[in-house]
Amino acid sequence: MILSTSFSNRAAVLLLASSLFLSGCVGVKGDDKEAPAPRGGKFSIAVFPIENLSGRAAPRGEIRESLIRNLKMEGFQVLDDDALEKFMARNRIRYTGGIDRVTAQALRMETGVEAVLITSIELYSEEIPPKIALISRLVSTGDNPVILWTDGVGLAGDDSPGILGLGLIEDSKTLMEKALHVLSSSITNYFLINKEQREGKRPARKFRPKIAYRSPEIGGGKKYTVAVVPFFNIGGRKFAGEIMLLHFIRSLKRFKNYDVIEPGIVRQELLRLRIIIEEGVSFADATLISSTLGADWILNGKVMDYQDYAGSWGKPKVDFSAVLIERKGREVVWNSTSHNEGDDGVFFFDRGRVNTAYAMASQMTQMVVKMIGEETKSVQGAKASKDRVK
Amino acid sequence: MKKIVTLKRILIYFVPIFLIGCAGADVYRDQNMDFGSIKTIAVMPFTSLTRDNIVAERVRDVFINKLLATDAVYIVPVGEVARGVSRAEIQTPTTPSPEEVVKLAAIIKVQAVITGVVREYGEVRSGTASANVISLSIEMMETQTGKVVWAAASTKGGINIWDRLFGGGGQPMNKITLKAINDLVDKLLK
Repeated sequence: MILSTSFSNRAAVLLLASSLFLSGCVGVKGDDKEAPAPRGGKFSIAVFPIENLSGRAAPRGEIRESLIRNLKMEGFQVLDDDALEKFMARNRIRYTGGIDRVTAQALRMETGVEAVLITSIELYSEEIPPKIALISRLVSTGDNPVILWTDGVGLAGDDSPGILGLGLIEDSKTLMEKALHVLSSSITNYFLINKEQREGKRPARKFRPKIAYRSPEIGGGKKYTVAVVPFFNIGGRKFAGEIMLLHFIRSLKRFKNYDVIEPGIVRQELLRLRIIIEEGVSFADATLISSTLGADWILNGKVMDYQDYAGSWGKPKVDFSAVLIERKGREVVWNSTSHNEGDDGVFFFDRGRVNTAYAMASQMTQMVVKMIGEETKSVQGAKASKDRVK
Repeated sequence: MKKIVTLKRILIYFVPIFLIGCAGADVYRDQNMDFGSIKTIAVMPFTSLTRDNIVAERVRDVFINKLLATDAVYIVPVGEVARGVSRAEIQTPTTPSPEEVVKLAAIIKVQAVITGVVREYGEVRSGTASANVISLSIEMMETQTGKVVWAAASTKGGINIWDRLFGGGGQPMNKITLKAINDLVDKLLK
């Protein structure tokens, strides 16, 4: 009898506790539903007209509208089109792939927005399976414009075909919405989590540079300010130099020890100083650019190949070299050559295959930046690497 | 019978001499040059004897990178070389004269200048077989007199017996380019 009483008491206590616990859980969820917190944190931004670097026609207006819709849903305050158009006409802004200091100041003064979202279309193909690649960055306005966030997305309709091809995406609009959702989620995450937590997925080893030189002058742990100059394009793909610049900016921003200068400011300085980069940056140009911008390093290079393919058959190719010039020592501190194809290291059932040049270039540039920062010298030199010329 | 023995003897003595002669023919090294004094080198734009002009730039870029990666010498960046070429008013930077080499070196402060020629680059066919091939030659000039002190050539890829029998198309272009450049760099540092 005593035993049964204690058992009933215990059961009652358990019931009460579990109901309280469950109601607590429900309560939390219910509160969230009642008053959804603005994820964008009431941050006011202007969305610049989309820059098309794909070299062919792309629905710039549609992408922009969809992006604005997504951002508004995340709680961001977006400057309306009329106000932006008036501002651009008043200040005679034609270039929308970056923002210089004067424009950033004027934008803050005249419209009050805190940042500007600059998006570039790298690839857009409606041929089945469709493909899309976008790179976006958020730059603060005011006296000192800095890149707050940058990310990109590259998708192909046949990235994850799944069993019996059920995962294939054949509609370009669906793929576009998916890509824009990835971008708007990433920008929202920037405001929710710490910068240090944004290093993301590690690139595959096969994307390491094929040859690399790293000077011992590069000190580990130091913070460097980097100005990225458009890459010299000798391949057939239009705007490949600008695309590679955006990839490097994105990769550099993933590491906390690099401050990257907004490319719009670099472009403006190159125009002001009347510097025409023909084959590469000379020491005189590097000194001039870095002293006016306060950069420690100037990054540039050459793009030999940047190929995407339309339809089902083909493989992307990316081939580039990167050179890093240090201002103080007036010397090359990093030089590397990278080339990969979409089917590198693929042996069975297309496992590991990459369908867009964006996805490859993204990992290749990440590998380059990672190796620049590595203190141990991991260089693939010639066999006689320790020898001197005799 | 005696004739056959004599022929064999001739073959035994002359074939190795002939082969040694072939092996040494693609490298020239000035015996009076102190290569240890060379610390900084400028690599001029390469000449392309192929249909594609981009090829020369591509090979030059890989060559510069490979040479720099050896840690043996310092290579002046291409932008600096272009500035030097422009300031020295060199009309054909792919084949500078000794006087132009001396003039250029004074501007960009180098101890040697390298020029190169891409003789063949791309796919070659023979019957039904095809494969990629690269053939290039490099010259190094010292900058006090503009004299050629080192020259070498390398050919990699091409159709081998395996390609003839089973096909396959040979190795990728990037791989054989790297092989040829490795070969040249090894010849320079040997």
